[in-house]
Amino acid sequence: MDEATSTADAWVTIVWNDPVNLMSYVTYVFQTHFGYPREKADRLMRQVHEEGRAVVSTGNREAMEVDVQAMHSYGLWATMQRGGQ
Amino acid sequence: MRAFRRQKGQYVARLDAGERAVVASVVADVAELLGAGRFEDGPQPGTSSPAHPGAPEGWSLRTAPVPPPQDPAVRRLLPDASRDDPEVAGEFRRLTEDDLRARKVARLRSLWTSLVHGEPGWPEHALVVSPQAADDVAATLTDLRLVLGERLDLRTDADSEALYDGPETEPEDDVRAYLASVYGALSWLQESLLAVMLAAPDGGGGGRGRSGG
Repeated sequence: MDEATSTADAWVTIVWNDPVNLMSYVTYVFQTHFGYPREKADRLMRQVHEEGRAVVSTGNREAMEVDVQAMHSYGLWATMQRGGQ
Repeated sequence: MRAFRRQKGQYVARLDAGERAVVASVVADVAELLGAGRFEDGPQPGTSSPAHPGAPEGWSLRTAPVPPPQDPAVRRLLPDASRDDPEVAGEFRRLTEDDLRARKVARLRSLWTSLVHGEPGWPEHALVVSPQAADDVAATLTDLRLVLGERLDLRTDADSEALYDGPETEPEDDVRAYLASVYGALSWLQESLLAVMLAAPDGGGGGRGRSGG
């Protein structure tokens, strides 16, 4: 039950692959916005590129709105949804 | 066109007059798609004034839903925040679309001004980007490429790779060839800007953090 309540407010931000964004740019965005180290940003970029999508952050809905808005500002296509969906 | 290089602490590319005019017109076109008036010479409205001066962050007059843009290129610049939940997508659009639009237009205006007026103290062909502004310029080059990519029907990675291979497109399609050449040049320019940004001492991971912007 505790787990249910603790995940009830858990959302994720997903970045989707697109044919336009440069790999170097996507890595740069993940480093810059999320403060991820180069290796993690690069791994997430490759996951987006190869698998078509990657979860790039988790948090409550408001935090994910901030992240999705930032991704859209950078020109990446991001969506948000409840975690575990 | 010469790629971006680090020069006197700035990031500097070189575009001749014709190249500047082409890129500036694409910049103005994209701004127009986003609802800005046509960029023109003359007094500039405040380049970064918020839609509601003095209002707290996140404040919005919007209470009614904002319909998604009809033009697929605009919708790519202001995309849906959910693929399958209209409530999430609608709420996100209501809260953020005005800010995103204004931010993108302000960035476009800034790049347009640099292209049209140049930078005092630099050769007229120099496109000078300060390290502080590089993030905005890189994002704006992305917006330009997203719109061109939409008009070129780039849907998959294979589509964009085919574009670089060139002569797959019908030679008689002058518009497509033109758009493809501009897209290619902007991709190359952006890649070179990223290279100097990432080579900077604090390149990438500089930690703007979740600044929301």
